[in-house]
Amino acid sequence: MTESARTMAASSRVEAILHVSPRPVTAATLRSTADLSDKELRAALSELETRYSPESSGIVLRNVAGGYQLATNPACAEAVERFREEARPAPLSSAAHEVLSCVLYLGPLTRGAVSAVRGVNSDAVVRNLLDRGLLAEVGTDQESPGSPALLAVTDDFLAATGAVSRDDFPALDSLVGPEELARVRERLGSADENTDGSAGEDTISEQSPESA
Amino acid sequence: MIEESRSRSLSDFTVELDVYSGPYEWLLALIMRDEVEIFEVPLRELVSLYLSNRDPERRDTLERDTDFAGSAAALVLLKSRTLSPAAEPEAEGDEGEALTPEQLAEKLARYLKIKRGAEHLRERFRENAGFHPSGHVLRARLGKLKINQGRLVGTARRAFSRLTEPPVRHLGPITVTLQDLADLIRSSLARGPVSYEELTRDMDRLNSAVAFAAALSLASEGHLKLSQSEPLGPLTFEVAESAS
Repeated sequence: MTESARTMAASSRVEAILHVSPRPVTAATLRSTADLSDKELRAALSELETRYSPESSGIVLRNVAGGYQLATNPACAEAVERFREEARPAPLSSAAHEVLSCVLYLGPLTRGAVSAVRGVNSDAVVRNLLDRGLLAEVGTDQESPGSPALLAVTDDFLAATGAVSRDDFPALDSLVGPEELARVRERLGSADENTDGSAGEDTISEQSPESA
Repeated sequence: MIEESRSRSLSDFTVELDVYSGPYEWLLALIMRDEVEIFEVPLRELVSLYLSNRDPERRDTLERDTDFAGSAAALVLLKSRTLSPAAEPEAEGDEGEALTPEQLAEKLARYLKIKRGAEHLRERFRENAGFHPSGHVLRARLGKLKINQGRLVGTARRAFSRLTEPPVRHLGPITVTLQDLADLIRSSLARGPVSYEELTRDMDRLNSAVAFAAALSLASEGHLKLSQSEPLGPLTFEVAESAS
């Protein structure tokens, strides 16, 4: 078998495996199931990337959730959804995005900790996200009373956000600039000074972040 | 909370909100099923929509107004409950405690970052919404069934987890025993049959409940006979024949 023919056969095997898998397949699994070396797998994936280029194909190769996945091109989404006679799931609410953000950046977290960060009860939102498979209970917090469940984001979440892993998101500290944080502190300081009778005191009552 | 009958007269009332567009009745149903977040629904806008659509000449205006007021009040209650602080103070650590300005600033800064993260996630979800995986779910074969241990544990935990304990703080310290109330019933019966209402007239709810439990206990031991002429009618205690 020539090198070219062998690469073709390798890409075909990878393509077939990805085609039948409903979930992203890791490189290790592809290597072992398609009987490929590292180099052969890289060449096969490179060929598939070219073959399934978003500019020329209705199918695209995605690298998400720690693996590879064949999926329809978003440009064809409308036709696919019409064919399957199913509407795209309703977009998540702002509250759901906040809960996911909490768990992604601060997780694994308990429901109580999520609620504490957001300042409002988040149980209903968490339940909805568990039902959607975007969050999962991955253990328990043994140090808290009642050992509440710990929540973490799932591979479905990574696939839905087009992320390879949790590291594929901007760092939490980079999301808000130091100037903006300084403004928050400044505003808090001025609010404290303007409060009758509270100026000069070293504590103020807690309030919901959402009310701020 | 939101009864079906309440919104029947509003079947032709449709709403146009950012989070939902369609019949008002469906909006109520979606809220009750947690498919629409109540705190995403602008209640003030909802009321304005109703008022702008209100036709005072209709024959059923009063009924519609009443139904809308009822359902809107229920939504206000639901929203206020949803927005109440989480009922897990232990897990939150600093709940209810006064925060220093520095602590509050830290908390707000963290929330601000989380909120920005949420905005970033919204964009990521939007960009990746159109991908449909090739999605061929393989049928499980005997002996080849792969069980996701994490999901199995999660399901089992949900199935066997204890329900939240009801709050009992309002009961205050329990200062009465079943034995105390059993003695009281016995001494009252020495003067003849006595009704439950008469026995518990000056008691608070806790004592009344314990008195009832004591009476059931005495009845099961054969010391007491309970009689009630009709369902939910007056309950009378008398000494059981076997005991006398």
